[in-house]
Formats: sequence, C-alpha cells, structure tokens
Amino acid sequence: MDFDLTPQQSDLRDAVAALGRRYGHDYFVAKAKAGEHTTELWDEAGKLGYLGVSVPEEYGGGGGGITELAIVCEELAAAGCPLLLLVVSPAIAATVIARHGTGEQRARYLPGFADGSLKVAFAITEPEAGSNFHKLGTTARRDGDDWLISGRKCFISGVDESAYVLVVARVASGDRLQPALFMVPVDAPGLTMSKLDMEIVSPENQWLLYLDGVRVPADALIGDVEAGLPALFSGLNPERITVAAMGAGTARYALGRASGYASTRQVWGRPIGAHQAVAHPLAHATVQVDLARLMIAKAATLYDAGRDLEAGVAANMAKYASAEAAALAVDTAIQVHGGNGMTTEYGVATLLGAVRAGRIAPVSREMILNFVAQHVLDQPRSY
Amino acid sequence: MNIVVLVKQVPDSGAERNLRTDDNTVDRGSASNVINEMDEYAIEEALRIQEAHGGEVTILTMGPSGAAESIRKALSMGPDKAVHVVDDALHGSCALATSKVLAAALGTLNADLVLCGAESTDGRVQVLPHMLAERLGVAALTGARKLTIDGSALTIERQTDEGYEVVTAQTPAVVSVWDTINEPRYPSFKGIMAAKKKPVQALSLGDLGVAPSEVGLDGASSAVVEHSKRPPRSGGQKVTDEGEGGVKLVEFLATEKFV
Repeated sequence: MDFDLTPQQSDLRDAVAALGRRYGHDYFVAKAKAGEHTTELWDEAGKLGYLGVSVPEEYGGGGGGITELAIVCEELAAAGCPLLLLVVSPAIAATVIARHGTGEQRARYLPGFADGSLKVAFAITEPEAGSNFHKLGTTARRDGDDWLISGRKCFISGVDESAYVLVVARVASGDRLQPALFMVPVDAPGLTMSKLDMEIVSPENQWLLYLDGVRVPADALIGDVEAGLPALFSGLNPERITVAAMGAGTARYALGRASGYASTRQVWGRPIGAHQAVAHPLAHATVQVDLARLMIAKAATLYDAGRDLEAGVAANMAKYASAEAAALAVDTAIQVHGGNGMTTEYGVATLLGAVRAGRIAPVSREMILNFVAQHVLDQPRSY
Repeated sequence: MNIVVLVKQVPDSGAERNLRTDDNTVDRGSASNVINEMDEYAIEEALRIQEAHGGEVTILTMGPSGAAESIRKALSMGPDKAVHVVDDALHGSCALATSKVLAAALGTLNADLVLCGAESTDGRVQVLPHMLAERLGVAALTGARKLTIDGSALTIERQTDEGYEVVTAQTPAVVSVWDTINEPRYPSFKGIMAAKKKPVQALSLGDLGVAPSEVGLDGASSAVVEHSKRPPRSGGQKVTDEGEGGVKLVEFLATEKFV
C-alpha cells in the first residue's frame, strides 16, 4: 500500500492550502461571530473544482476519490477553516447519490456537487435513536405516487444554507421497516426547523428538524426502497475519513500556531520552546496527529481501491485517532500560549468547542470502540 | 497571439535560503523550490490575453531536472505546453549566458510576446528581459503594472518610484511585469489533472547549438568569490517608561533621524 501522494494530489494540496491561507482563521471566526456563513470561501473553492474533486467526471466533477476530498478537508482546516459542510455535502450526500441514485438523480444533482453550487444537508440523528438507524422513529409512507415523511431529527448541520436535506426515514418493506433516503427540499411544506444553540465557534449551524407529513414525489427516494441500507452505508466511510482529515488539519493548524508562539515568545532571554515542559507536550501531540494522518491515508487508499470492508475498519480507527489527537493538539496549543491561549486574538481557543465535539460527532468514540471490539476483536455485541 | 512565459524555479523566499559552500551557487538541495513569485503574475497575464485574444501560451524554463515540478505547476494554471532547457553544463550560468540560452530556445518558438517576471527572488538583477530583447532584436517593455493590447500594438504602464510611464511597442516584444499587474489564479483541480497530459519538450545545449564552454560556471562573465551570512540583528534599545518614556522615545527617533 503506497501512501505517497501523486504529483497531482500534491499540487492539489498546495493549491488548497494557498486558497485557505488567503481566508484564514480570522475570517472563519469573524463569520462565525457575526452569525454569517463562509460563502465566499465555499464558492471560490467550488469554482476551482476543489469541492467536487470526488464527483465523477461525466457530471463535471474531478473524477478523483476520497483521498482527494480528504486533502481538501485537511488543508482548509490546516489554514484555520474547518468547513463541516464538506463532510456533509460532498462526502456523504454526493457519494450516496453517485453510488445509489438513479440515472435521473445523478444527472440532476451531481453537477451541482461538482461546482459546489448545490449544498445538501444530511439528517439521520434523532433525539431518541441517536444514529442507530434500526431504531429511527422517522418514517415515510406511500400516498399514491408520493411519500409522506414524519419524524424529528437533531444535530443536523447547515440546513439553513442547504437547498435539500437528505433525510433517513424508515419505510415498510414487506412486514418490516428499513431505512431509506429521501431528498427533501428545505422549503417543503411541513418541514420546520429550529436552531440549536451550541458552544462551538462555527459559521455552520446545528438544527432540530420537525417533519410533519412532508410530501415529496416518488423520485425523491434515492434509488429504490431496497437501495436504502447500502446507500446509507456508502456515505459512512467517506464521512469518517473526511471528518478525520478535518480534525487532523485543525490539529496541524493549532500546533502550527503553538510552535510558532513557543519558538518566538521570549521569557528570561530564551524562547519558551527551549523548555522541555513546553516542547514535549507539543512533540507528543505532533506524534499523535501524524499517526492519525497515517490511518486516514490508509483508510482513504482502501476506500478508493474499492476495499470497503477493510476501509470501514480503517475509517473508524482514523476517525477515533484524529478526534483524540485534535482535542489533545488544541488543548496543548492553548496551554503553551498561557493566558494568550484563551484570547480570541491568538486563534486557538476558538477551536476548543469544535475539537471537543469531534470526540462525539458524527460518531462517538464509544460507538467506534464498540465497532472495533465487535468487528476486530470478535467480542459479543453490547447492545 | 503566440505567447511564451519565462518561468524560473527558485528557492522559496519565505524559508531559509543558502548558497553552496563549494561553488557559491544557490543551494537547491536544501531548499523548498517554487515558481518565482513574479513569474506567476506573468503566467496570469498571458492567460488573460489568451482568453481575450486567443492564441497559445507556452512555458519556457531553464533549470535542472527538478524544475519539472515548477513547470507542472505552471501548466496547471492553464498554459498549453512547455519547453524545458535542461543540461548539466548550465549549472552556475550568469545572466548573460542565461539570456543567450533562452534567446536560442525562443528562436525555436516564434513568439509574438515574451512575458516574464520583472525579477527573480533569488538573483534579483532585473537584467534578463533587457538582455533577451537585445539578443532577439525586439522591443523591451519592462516593469509593467498594466498591459493593453490592440492588434500588434502593446502599451504598458511602466511602474516607477514616482508613478508610471506609458511605453508602447509593436510585437514581437519582451514584457516584464510586477506583482501589481493582476491577481494570479489558483490552479483548478481540472487544471491540475490536465497538466499531467500537456506536452513538455526537453531541450539540451546541443539541441540549441550553444557550446557548453559558453555557459555554466566556467563560461560565466562574473563569479561569486565568497559569501557569508548576514550578521544577526543587534538587540536594539529598550526604553523603560519612568515618567519620561515619551521624551526618550522622541530622542531616539531624532538621533536616528526618523523625525
């Protein structure tokens, strides 16, 4: 397995990093604090094809894989702009539609993903069921050719800036219910949303969704009823890999700030980085971040090679390792900055909420440990 | 319009740069090598002219085999093809020899317009556009902050310390540009992928009919005899405010003739 970047992947990394640097963390924080979105950055990255790197070429995309999309996520985050909607729209929604949408659905939606002009939110999590899709309370039932969807969703990112939300609802198949995915326009009658106040500095908002008999046409169902479960699974690995890449980028950003500070901040005539009590925690965090990046590269390589089962294990491990490393890196970066670490100006404490949430969402560390215990160590299910 | 853009690979000016201890030339091995920043503006200008007037944009680079990476990055911005003059004998060439080699390469390219950065961040001599124009027998419009084209008539605003001069010439011509002329684009992902398939022609000194003895360290018209690091900055003067801080600050500024 070769994780060396191709010259093209390396050029993509440099190009995205350069674009991200022009915006930077101050831009990201200013937008978040003003209650605005990072529309300029999203649109520019979209026009340059960075958001559509993994969309098939025949629909105007870059024809690359999750390796390329992970590069985009990591480099924007490393520039201080961790864009959560990258994980939701191009990674989950575009992958689900590219792999399991009908020909008509692919032709209709993928060109918008290719240039970033289409944003699609993703709604699986529910107050009662969490993200356990066997227990989802949201259901869709046939009404003539249409579907009527009812239920509640929580922690849904970026609905206010999306045109559609890809809703996971259970439908009757024979005598049982199974998950299916629906493209629901955010302005559909019967769909209401309320904002969740979060302690995260982010230009992207979290929403509660209420679906009260939301009527969508037959072609809102992705693929067909039987496609639901595989379609849902197809979005999970890209989600985990890209969110891990975003965490690793955020960690690199924080460690970059902290090492810059430690090597220039002078106390008693020496840079504080000359003291091991400062340098070692930074070095330790760097080791954890680079280990996580290695697993991200492995997961992306396996996924792009079509080895989905192996990719599933690696993607979960990468997500776990990256979330832990990012939380450690930001916490360490704050400590190294002393009191400055908690100011807005030094731009590290602004990431605290995001990296802490990364240990919970989109899949918690405990759920990953369950997965590893069960699938790698052959332990009995705990739930 | 047939446009050739000169692109030089240089050590990243944002990182530490060194000269080699054995022959006083740029140490490329220890540096992160990038496209000379000013050349990116020349590429952007060429692409804008191509978008408005059609034609072809060719990248011309003289440099070691590692410069292929910069050529690829230049092509990812959108030019059609590249020519890479690469020959071990070129190592250590002076500006005069460089202009000779580039002029010979340009002789094979039939350019209406040669665009380049006004200076490189490593050499910084700013003479190459003039030397090239002289060797090619065409006009040199140098230091442009604006370039307009009307048929075969070129007009530039030549940036000076006091303002600008309007200078005109007919094609063919050499035009060098400053970073005030435009905002270079980022390569799109499609551009990055397309660059892989664009033709890059390698030319040796033999292909160009230039003798190895005319170039390189041995053929150089000037030589760096020795070099040393700039001495570290001195500590400066600290003014402690004990009620007269303002007075002391003004005294310092007056002594240094800032006020």
